[in-house]
Amino acid sequence: MIKLILAFLKIGFLGFGGGYAMLSLIFQESKTFGLTAMQFADLTALDGIIPGPIAINSATYVGQLYAGLPGAIVATLVVCVPSLLFIPLYMHFEEKIKNNQLFSGILRGIKPASVGLILAIGLTLLLSTVLGMPDILHWASFHVDYVNLFVLGLVLFLDYKYHVNPVILILLAGVIGGVAFYL
Amino acid sequence: MNKNWLLFKVYFLAGAFTFSGGLAMLPVIERDLVDKYKLISKEDLYEYSTLSNTFPGVIAVNSACFVGKKVNGVSGMLIAAFGAIFPAFALMLLATVLYQLIPQEGVFLAVLKTVRAASAAFLLSAAFSLAKYNLRDLPSLLIAGACLIFTIFNLVDAPKLIIAAGIIGVWLTYSAKNKNNQKGATK
Repeated sequence: MIKLILAFLKIGFLGFGGGYAMLSLIFQESKTFGLTAMQFADLTALDGIIPGPIAINSATYVGQLYAGLPGAIVATLVVCVPSLLFIPLYMHFEEKIKNNQLFSGILRGIKPASVGLILAIGLTLLLSTVLGMPDILHWASFHVDYVNLFVLGLVLFLDYKYHVNPVILILLAGVIGGVAFYL
Repeated sequence: MNKNWLLFKVYFLAGAFTFSGGLAMLPVIERDLVDKYKLISKEDLYEYSTLSNTFPGVIAVNSACFVGKKVNGVSGMLIAAFGAIFPAFALMLLATVLYQLIPQEGVFLAVLKTVRAASAAFLLSAAFSLAKYNLRDLPSLLIAGACLIFTIFNLVDAPKLIIAAGIIGVWLTYSAKNKNNQKGATK
């Protein structure tokens, strides 16, 4: 449980720039809790279906899988600690730190970093779902899954180009998977 | 009506009906807290929302903390934050418990497999969208490229990369400021 608290404190304090920036940290930490890349992919899908901030949804999911209900509650509360700490402090000293130079400087570096980190996770999941490779160095298990390739291409196109509701896209992906199973 | 109860109600409903978090709940908050209950001014709400983006932590929770603290002190802050996270927590808990019951075989596994491919697509799509707004100069491109390579080849872990990127960001911001000051001085 202490491991869970420390992990989600780290995610909270380093989590500048919103959900997707935090997701790379959650991916990293969830591996230390024994979650597989596939369970992380399922988390991303659930994030799309369930309302609420990505970081909150993720904390609940990882906590529940790792330690049941107490884990879910603790992880979700702990990820909020930085907000409860920094915001009253800032409002108390508002006049003195009006333009908040330090945090915007940190954000200047972390925003591009999170693009690279998210892209890396997206590519890792692409390798494992479409090409059968657990990571980029394992070429031995290389084989193309054409159904997944089709689904990935279709969802990427509809999401990026037309911003189709993710709930619909996940349902669509699931239906294609179910139909392909019986064909 | 009691301010804390109003804060809880507004944030609970906003949390329950907005997907993807962040400031997606802002229009609902504005309609209720500013227009309907007049608990906070529009200017304050927008200033706090902008600030929420620059603080560490969950953006939606940051925003709820700012507004709750402003409206009704520490108790308002705790209540607003609780209202903002509770629906997400309860629904996600239910979804995770149901997910744990799904057998990982047969047609269920086939469905999960294509859903996972869709997840990969969501992450790639998010990366492309973020890249459009955040990779507009050479240092940003270099930071993103380095993070991509270090992560995909498993060389450096994400927390270290984020700390390094934060330090580089601070350095870039301050050195740009110094340059501007020097230009100003020589003119």
